Amino acid sequence: MEYFSLPYLTTGLVCLLGGVVSSWRSGQPRKPAVLAAAIAFVSFLGAAREVIAAGGGRLFDPLLRWLDADGLDAVPMAFYAALTLMVVVLAPKRDAGGPAMAGMLMISLSTQTAYAAAGWIPLVSGWWLSCLPFILGMFGGQQSNKRAIALLIASCVALTAAFVLMQADTSSHVSQGGELTFWLIILAVMCRKGVFPLHSGVVQAFEKGPLLPVALLFNGHLGVLLVAHSEAAGLPQSARHAFDVLSVVAVASAFIISIRAFAETKPRRLLALLYISQASFILAGIAAANAAGITGSLIHWLALSAASVGLVSIVRVLEVRVSSAENPMMHLGLAVKAPRLATFFLLCGLALIGLPGTLSYCGEELIFHGTLANHPAVGIALLVTSAFNAINLIRLYSILFLGVLPKHVIEIPDALPRERWPLTACVVFLVFGGLFPSIIIGWRAETVQAIVKCLVIADGADQQ
Amino acid sequence: MSLQTLIPLLIATPGVLFLLLGVIWLLGGHVSERAMSRISKATHAFLAVVVVIIGWAMWRENMTSIQVSLGDWFTVAEYGFPLSLLIDRLSLPLVGLTVVLTGIVGSFSVRYLHRDPGFYRFFLMLHLFTFGALLVFTAGSLDMLVVGWETVGITSVLLIGFFQYRPEPVSNALRVFATYRLADLFLLSAVFLSHHWFGTASWVGIFSGDWPGGGYKFDGPAATVIAVLLAFAASGKASQGPFFGWLPRAMEGPTPASAVFYGAISVHAGAYLLLRAEPLIHHSVIASGLVIFIGLTTAFLGTLIHRTCADAKTSLAYAAQTQLGLIFAEIGFGWTTLAVIHLVSHAMLRTLQFLRAPSMLRDYHRVHAAAGGKLNPTGGCYESLLPFAVQLWLYRWALARGFYDAIVERWVIAPVQSLARWLAIFEPEFSHRSSETEPSAKAVETPVS
Repeated sequence: MEYFSLPYLTTGLVCLLGGVVSSWRSGQPRKPAVLAAAIAFVSFLGAAREVIAAGGGRLFDPLLRWLDADGLDAVPMAFYAALTLMVVVLAPKRDAGGPAMAGMLMISLSTQTAYAAAGWIPLVSGWWLSCLPFILGMFGGQQSNKRAIALLIASCVALTAAFVLMQADTSSHVSQGGELTFWLIILAVMCRKGVFPLHSGVVQAFEKGPLLPVALLFNGHLGVLLVAHSEAAGLPQSARHAFDVLSVVAVASAFIISIRAFAETKPRRLLALLYISQASFILAGIAAANAAGITGSLIHWLALSAASVGLVSIVRVLEVRVSSAENPMMHLGLAVKAPRLATFFLLCGLALIGLPGTLSYCGEELIFHGTLANHPAVGIALLVTSAFNAINLIRLYSILFLGVLPKHVIEIPDALPRERWPLTACVVFLVFGGLFPSIIIGWRAETVQAIVKCLVIADGADQQ
Repeated sequence: MSLQTLIPLLIATPGVLFLLLGVIWLLGGHVSERAMSRISKATHAFLAVVVVIIGWAMWRENMTSIQVSLGDWFTVAEYGFPLSLLIDRLSLPLVGLTVVLTGIVGSFSVRYLHRDPGFYRFFLMLHLFTFGALLVFTAGSLDMLVVGWETVGITSVLLIGFFQYRPEPVSNALRVFATYRLADLFLLSAVFLSHHWFGTASWVGIFSGDWPGGGYKFDGPAATVIAVLLAFAASGKASQGPFFGWLPRAMEGPTPASAVFYGAISVHAGAYLLLRAEPLIHHSVIASGLVIFIGLTTAFLGTLIHRTCADAKTSLAYAAQTQLGLIFAEIGFGWTTLAVIHLVSHAMLRTLQFLRAPSMLRDYHRVHAAAGGKLNPTGGCYESLLPFAVQLWLYRWALARGFYDAIVERWVIAPVQSLARWLAIFEPEFSHRSSETEPSAKAVETPVS
């Protein structure tokens, strides 16, 4: 077993835990929360650097040995810590109360625990813990959000059942699990990611839940991580078949939801549908089980997370400024009063749907190639989905930012410095990553090679 | 400086300028109108000099094409995205045209948009558009072409919605964007399928020999499918055939944008794509027949509708569609040199007409008054040769613009909306009533807060 030179993972998690405790009762919760998120970001960044320097191999934490990081989860860990920092800095005052800040840090803590889990127990614990802030009502009453919470719990229950089943079979690794285990894992992933027809929970969470914590929760992409880990473990043929089904379901889900979004006019719901549809691309690419598809998925994962958190943040700060932004009866025309927010929104949105020159263009391009190599029809379906999502994104943009400015919107501030800098960082990442994608592909290359190698070995074993 | 350096510099300059000006603005900075005007003029002068140097060097050394390879943008396993540029006898005139016309339009816009709140935004878009258009015309592969193609598309849409505080530009920009995206599907499918079937999407990989008169390396149904897909993609950009209705809607943008996009460069990108893929199209009877059919039917429709238009810009839009239809037909028949000459001269004439349009009516009224209100109506009267009933039928048909919008509304948009609403059965809290109408861009309602 190889270890990190410093206990990066422990430090990061402890900082987040400290942030939860200190911001909960604090009169000024933003300061401790930002401090905790910043230190956690630096810790996870250190861990990612060491993992990349070690060639993507698995490194254990020297203090808590049930924590580890490898090429697959080290980069998302650092990235997720950066997203947490961004959300904590950007959150409007009314969303930055003690319990809310503590809740966001708890979501981050639990997601990072799931990323860093070296075994099943911390992984399942991470899944459960991430639901806790919603169940405890840390972001206010969640009465209208019951279906979303129920689906989250269902995903945790399915994962726990898979774990129990493996314990009963005395299997120590996912690759040794039975067929039922894989179907339970797939059910957990579908509930968690809101794959059609189970998407209504995610839509409801976006519409009626606290927007920023919800974005943080779903951008953990724990379902994708589970699938990727399973593929990296070298699955038997039965499980591969199950994941093939998941791939087809993901593509169908992306396509159907992109059509469904044409009937939507509420910004939050439209954003949710866009997010679910684009997020399904990740599953489709991973399940393509070739180098292009898997690399595309891992790149799209980062691009989607950055872009969607940017979009969600902008929608939220607009809602705080103009209450009618939640359910507008007319085009709001806010670009006149908030041109920078409009530009940030447009850039993040175009990055979400894969405009050339942004990171997600590379991700989507690779996913298309990966899926086309296996199933041409699936690749074409993804292309159509991408076009529909682009149209829906511009619809959303036009509802919020274009048209006649309503009479009641007299004066609203444009992007405040607290909002402008994180959003600039987000846009710079998306554009810089799009202009020089080889750097980001390089971070993930070792992992992709490892997964493809496992898949080839598994194929060889099946043929024998 | 070698041509291998000059060509990437030519493409990158407007792109870098866009990025720099964009970041300055996003971080709260501002560039004055005068500074922006000088920056734009200097940039276009520089680009014009670079184009002249490239053309001179090619002529002096008797080169028919220059291929610039900048390696791969990104590589994964056996797939790499090649960064390759190509300047040859097809792309050089179009690059020159782009630089000259965007420079003229930029110079015109300094006065036209003086003190307009969107002055800065317009020039940002113009630089991004110049980058995209240059990339389209110099792309060495379909992959690279897509990057420029989509950049041109998004800048085009943003400029249609330039007057964002008015309802019509907003709705028209959305409709144009939807049309663009659907048409781009054909191009993207062509790119991915050519990778899938041919293992390459570069011009050098697909075609043999220099343009014009080059051959093709692939044959059979796959080549026909790619050619047909490219024909539809080109139709989308040039507002031809099934994508016939968007060009008049695009006239909502400021006049200089209409001139450079819909008179000069953007709409001709479709014809350029067909010219580039001409060997592939020409070998397939289906593809060349399709291009001729699309071109001639659109030309007929365009010239018919153009005669009933009451406003100058819409009339020019339909006239441009007519000429583009003829260019398509020329390409379909294999008259490539004629098509290039037609394309370049049409782009220049149309730019002049668009830029002249705002002052033309005023001048006309002045001349009309000076002539004592006795100016005879202009225009041909060939229609009078037709039977009256046919004249009437054609007139009504032209007045309704071929019923294109009604057909799209009834047979495309309405079914998709119905399907979308039906799919909402999985979301119990979805309100059908609210979904039936889009938030109105026109409404000015009472405060909600």
